[in-house]
Amino acid sequence: MAQTIAQKILAAHSGNDTVEVNQIVSVKPDYVLSHDNTAAIRKKFEQIGVKKIFDPNMPVVVLDHTVPPSTAQYANNHKSIREFVEQHKIAHFYDMGRGICHQVLSEEGFAYPGALILGADSHTTTYGAFGAASAGIGRSEVAAIWATGEMWLMVPPTIKIVVNGKMPRGTTSKDLMLHIIGEIGADGALYKSMEFYGSTIENMSIASRMVLSNMAVEAGAKFGIIPPDEKTDDFLKDIARAEYKKVFADEDAQYESEIRYDAEKLVPVVAAPHTVDNVFPASDVDEEKVHQVFLGTCTNGRVEDFHKAAEILAGRKVADGTRLLVFPASSKVLKEIILDGTAEKLIDAGAILMNPGCGPCLGAHEGVLADGEVCVSTANRNFLGRMGNKNAAIYLASPYTAAAAAVAGKIIDPRELL
Amino acid sequence: MIMKEKIIGRVWVITDRDGKPIDDIDTDMIYHNKHLAVVDIGEMAQYAFGNLEGWQDFPKKAERGDILIVGKNFGAGSSRQHAVDCFIALGISAIVGESFGAIYYRNAINAGLPIFVAPNIASSSIRSGDKIEIDTTTGKIFNITRNTELPPAKPMSDVQKKIIEAGGLLELAGKGF
Repeated sequence: MAQTIAQKILAAHSGNDTVEVNQIVSVKPDYVLSHDNTAAIRKKFEQIGVKKIFDPNMPVVVLDHTVPPSTAQYANNHKSIREFVEQHKIAHFYDMGRGICHQVLSEEGFAYPGALILGADSHTTTYGAFGAASAGIGRSEVAAIWATGEMWLMVPPTIKIVVNGKMPRGTTSKDLMLHIIGEIGADGALYKSMEFYGSTIENMSIASRMVLSNMAVEAGAKFGIIPPDEKTDDFLKDIARAEYKKVFADEDAQYESEIRYDAEKLVPVVAAPHTVDNVFPASDVDEEKVHQVFLGTCTNGRVEDFHKAAEILAGRKVADGTRLLVFPASSKVLKEIILDGTAEKLIDAGAILMNPGCGPCLGAHEGVLADGEVCVSTANRNFLGRMGNKNAAIYLASPYTAAAAAVAGKIIDPRELL
Repeated sequence: MIMKEKIIGRVWVITDRDGKPIDDIDTDMIYHNKHLAVVDIGEMAQYAFGNLEGWQDFPKKAERGDILIVGKNFGAGSSRQHAVDCFIALGISAIVGESFGAIYYRNAINAGLPIFVAPNIASSSIRSGDKIEIDTTTGKIFNITRNTELPPAKPMSDVQKKIIEAGGLLELAGKGF
């Protein structure tokens, strides 16, 4: 039976030769991710009553959400996690400072073609950029996997997304993904796998591909998979945690639908408040004062993103009355942008350089918005109240558009400054 | 816990001021991120729908056994389990919706909260306060108050039944699946 990438990876992890769409299978994931929520998962695990973690090599724990902690409760959660990691000899633990979980797992070689990674974070879909099947699950599910090494999954149908053509100057994979989500809607791929094809995707860097897979979940997708190639191999050289074999879809695999896009028609876009599918060209946004610009997150906190921001910010200044917060996605990214001079350009423009981590994306700390304020963010969600204040508004955009908003103090088409 | 053949209860149809079902209710509207540090399930009840326009007083109005009727893509967004647990804490007996965020749907199943996908249910003749009966085996939904058949739900999968009967995924995991 001809199969999609999702079907092949789920078959391989459930001891089947083939699996059918909508079939429920019991899978053994390669890795299971959790972050600051490990404190809550610990409680659920202890509730099960199992003494030992089934396989201490399976959990990967990264502290990234509220780092460094801003309250005693967050600090106590971190303490509880460290104790738990020690007690159960969890093999893969990254304490605060290493970076955002999805960036860390990628840099540390956990995400490779054919892998199955589940995680207690909805943006676990990010590893699809490496040809892996990866999805967010709930906390109880992570606890159950710690206890048993297994989890049930429904084999999703797959939507084939084909993008051809050269991306116009001033646009990025963020504009492409926001455009796609704007067209198919926040539920356009609900419980489905997305597979990305076409020359545009082939020509993208791994970092740019990670944006597509990361945000697949914003269309409701289970997986957002990009077929692996030489770039994947180059990235994983010397770091892959296992020997892997690239998994590709069969030529006659069954897709639920196929959607085609012409990249040459793309323009810089924003997702306006308060849903990710509320997408407009940046040039169409009415003049509105921007109070904060947030560069970073698991979506756009990588080296190439700061290079793009620096293309606009170098030699310019952040507008009066606008704050620019910069959060590198990992310590590796931070070091690289310091060594190559990018950090200096951003700081000279007036940026506040922050620590690797999730920052204000989830609204807990490090840049919560005031009433009536507007933020342009390179993150993946603009839900009402997402950044800690429901009387504030968030526009999602590419690093170009976000940097341009920092300079102009309002949302403009970034091509005006390129 | 034995899976009940029929779930009977009073419904809340989650609509806007004009009576239109609200689609894409995300997990921040259901359970706002500022209360994420709460780990005690009982404490979560008071925050249910705390960030959903017009429904902030829901925890005061809801009674044990009530059923939620929701539109499309309910529970979109984050993987936070609080957004399911807050309804369990309130004693909600089932959630019936036109579609659900994928992780939300899993979270509900794994927490042992009966959750049903019933296309067109929210835009049907059903109104808040009606009493309905859900047949968990066939997925048939009957409006007792109005004496009418409603758009049916997809029947529960075996996995879903097994988890509910065990009292939740954790209990099932304790038995080694």
